[in-house]
Formats: sequence, C-alpha cells, structure tokens
Amino acid sequence: MTNGTHGGPEILENLKMELRRGCLIVAVLAQLRTEQYGYTLRKALADDGLAIDEGTLYPLLRRLETQGLLVSQWREEDKRNKRFYRLSPAGEQILTQLLEEWQNINTSLNKILQEA
Amino acid sequence: MSKASSHDSSQQSPSAKNATELIDRYLQAVRFWLPKTRRQDDLLAELGEDLRSQIEDKEGELGHPLENAEVAEILKRCGSPMMVAGRLGPQVHLIGPALFPIYVFVLKMVLFWILVPVFIFIVGPVNLANSGGHWPSAILNTFGDLWSGLFIAAGTVTLVFAIIERTSAHLGAECKWDPLKLPPVRKEERKPTFLKAVCELGFNVFGLVWLLLLPQHPWMILGPAAAVLKAGPMLHTFYIPFVLVSAFALVRSGVTLARPQWGWFPPLSQLAQSALVLIVFHSMIEAIGRTPSAYPFVVLQDAVANSPKYFQLAGIVNVSILASIVFGWLGVCIAAIAQTWQFIRYLRKRSSGMPRPASIGAQ
Repeated sequence: MTNGTHGGPEILENLKMELRRGCLIVAVLAQLRTEQYGYTLRKALADDGLAIDEGTLYPLLRRLETQGLLVSQWREEDKRNKRFYRLSPAGEQILTQLLEEWQNINTSLNKILQEA
Repeated sequence: MSKASSHDSSQQSPSAKNATELIDRYLQAVRFWLPKTRRQDDLLAELGEDLRSQIEDKEGELGHPLENAEVAEILKRCGSPMMVAGRLGPQVHLIGPALFPIYVFVLKMVLFWILVPVFIFIVGPVNLANSGGHWPSAILNTFGDLWSGLFIAAGTVTLVFAIIERTSAHLGAECKWDPLKLPPVRKEERKPTFLKAVCELGFNVFGLVWLLLLPQHPWMILGPAAAVLKAGPMLHTFYIPFVLVSAFALVRSGVTLARPQWGWFPPLSQLAQSALVLIVFHSMIEAIGRTPSAYPFVVLQDAVANSPKYFQLAGIVNVSILASIVFGWLGVCIAAIAQTWQFIRYLRKRSSGMPRPASIGAQ
C-alpha cells in the first residue's frame, strides 16, 4: 500500500531514507577525518550500521568536494589507482558546526519524546 | 588530481580476466547512459575501482577467484547500468520544483479550461453545422482534432516552462511578490462551486449558440424530421423570448464567475431567471389555448403539406412539445420554490452574522 493511511513498509522505507539522508552527510564527513578511498569508506560506514550504495556515495563525495568540504587525490595503492578523500580545513569547521547542530536536534528530540 | 589509469590485465589469471572483462562491459554500459561531461571518466574509474575492491574482498572471503556468475551477482546488486548512471550523473530536471506547481496550473488551465471547452462548445458545433448531416464523422473529426490539440498544447506549455527554467527568468518573480497583494481568503466551498460555475457558463454559451443556429439549422432540434417539418407560428413568436432568457442565463453565469464576492447575486439572479422562464412558459400555454391551429409548434414543409402520413408525425411532435412545456413549467415552479428558500436562508444567515455561503456556492 502506498497511499493508505495505515503506513505500509514502503512509507516507512521512504521516511527512514529521508531521516538517513542528512545523517549520512555528517557520517561521511566524520569518517573522512582520516583519509580513505571510496570502497573502504563505504565498508567503514556499513560496519558502523550506515550502509550506503555506490550510486549514493560517489555523487555525495563529488558534491562535498565541489563545496570545498573534501579534497581528493588519485593515488596508486596495491598496484591499483584509487581516489582518496579526506576532510578539508573548511570541512572540519563545517563538521564541528554540524555536530553541534546534531547535538541540539538530539537534545530537542529527547525533550519532546519525554514530554509526550 | 591525476586521472585513473586503466586496469593492468597482462598478468591476471583467466578468472580475473573474465571478471575484469565483465566489469569493463558493465562500465561501458554505464558510460552509455552517463551524460558526456568531463567527470565521466573520473566517475567510471571510481566505480570500477569500487567494484574491483568488492570482488577482491569477496575472493578473500571465499578463498578462491570469483566465477563469472559471482561477479555478475555483485554487478546485479550494484544495479542496472541505466539506474547506476542515473544516480551517478547530475540530477537534471526539465521543470524544477519552484516552477512545477505553476506549470501544472497553467497546463490544467490550457487543456481543461480552454482547449476542451473551445472544442466542445465552438469547434464541435461548427463541425456539426458544416457536416452536411454526417454527424458521426464530424464528431470523430472533432475528437481527433481535440486529441492532437491536447498534445500540441501540452508540448508547447512544457517547452515554454522548460525555457523559463533554463533561463532562470522565474527567479526575479520570487523576490517581487508582496504579501499585502495576496488575494483575499477564499470562502468555503469555493473550489467545487467554481467548477460548477465554469461548467454552467460553458453550457449557457453552448445553449445560446445552439438557439441562435436553430433558424438556419432546424435539424438541430428536429433531427431527420427537419426534411418534412418546419417551425410553426408559436415557435416563431416565442423564439426571441427564449433567446433573451438564454442570454440572461449566460450573463448571469458570467457575472457569478467574475464576481464571486457578490454573495447575494447567484441566488437572486437564479430566482429571476426561473421567474422569466415561468413567464415565457405561462405565456406559451395561454397562447396555445387561444390559437385556432392544431399544429402550433411545427407544421409540415410545403413539399409534403398534403401527405397524410406526415400529418400524423406533425401531430406527435406538437403533442410532445406541449407535454415538454407543461412538465418544464412544473419543474421550473419546483426549482423556483427551492431557490426562494435558498435565498431566504441566505438572507437569514447574512442578518444573523453567520459566515456567508460562498457566493458561487450559494446557488
């Protein structure tokens, strides 16, 4: 059921996806405080419970790089060329601010949930 | 930033070569769907590297080189080339979210409020009038033209909005709006009754056009019987009053639509219209009693004036019209009572200060 008022699994999936979308950016930025290439980043995120597919991660990395929050470099490792990403100084500042915002949201949510 | 080099396959095992070939085929298919930008190679190299890393991991986990089927499984999990290209490529849209509501509004207006009514009330009747009696082909032609017209209009509107989107001409409008110039709050029931008012206007236009065409095209009321029947003295006498009532109805529906804030107008004007119709019907019924003719509404054409079988037909048609007038008179009487009640209710609500019914909805 997609339009019903009873909330089918599809609706839950869409809401979960929306909820994850903003968190993924914070998670990617936080993960890239240490340099990594695409696949290891994806694995690290998945190991921590935030699985992300290639089609979502690579455009996100491009976007964050275009915004100046990440820097990347193609480099050879184990006889293969890999693109390594890490947080830029601007990215570090933004991450700090985003984490503060995240804390605020978390606090507010907890407060709302306790009141309810 | 250096460009990714192609994967060296000279020292690979046969299964590794197969996997590489399958990945290259996959990347080639993704490339086909990706927009041709300077980032295309970069994206594909990174995707290829990700896939190779996945294969490498899986091989480490299983302890043997992957078979083609296992590589295919990884690619399948990654998604079809078209889908992956769609996600990797830039997010493009013909009409963006800022313009989309206006686009839908204009499209609905053009298609359903302009094009369809024009075809139903103008093009269709004109085609029918010029069809020379071939009604089915005229109707089919009208629908065919309407179908083509809908596609062309929708395409044109979409193209115009796509150009506006590309030229960002709409961005200026976002800064210019003034909250003080927003329209007043719409009254309840405004939306469904607006539709009703538009339909009423359309039908009234159609009715007046139909009535005006009748003298030249009597078949529009008599059908095939127009070959042997023509309008009688009563129809000639009351033709102008009917046209006037029809014109009144058209003006009434136009004013109702144009001045929705005039809450008093719809119930009052509808009551006036019913009164006019009652006067015309009553005059007709009275005139029938005075007329010496047995065929007051339709008479035989001169060519068949002496044919007995057509006399019977003329008699049936006259009786049918008379019955319609009598029943019509009764119906309008009932409607007038209901409209009077509605108008009284409206006046009561107004005097008691209760929220007034929507002007159009008050009908």
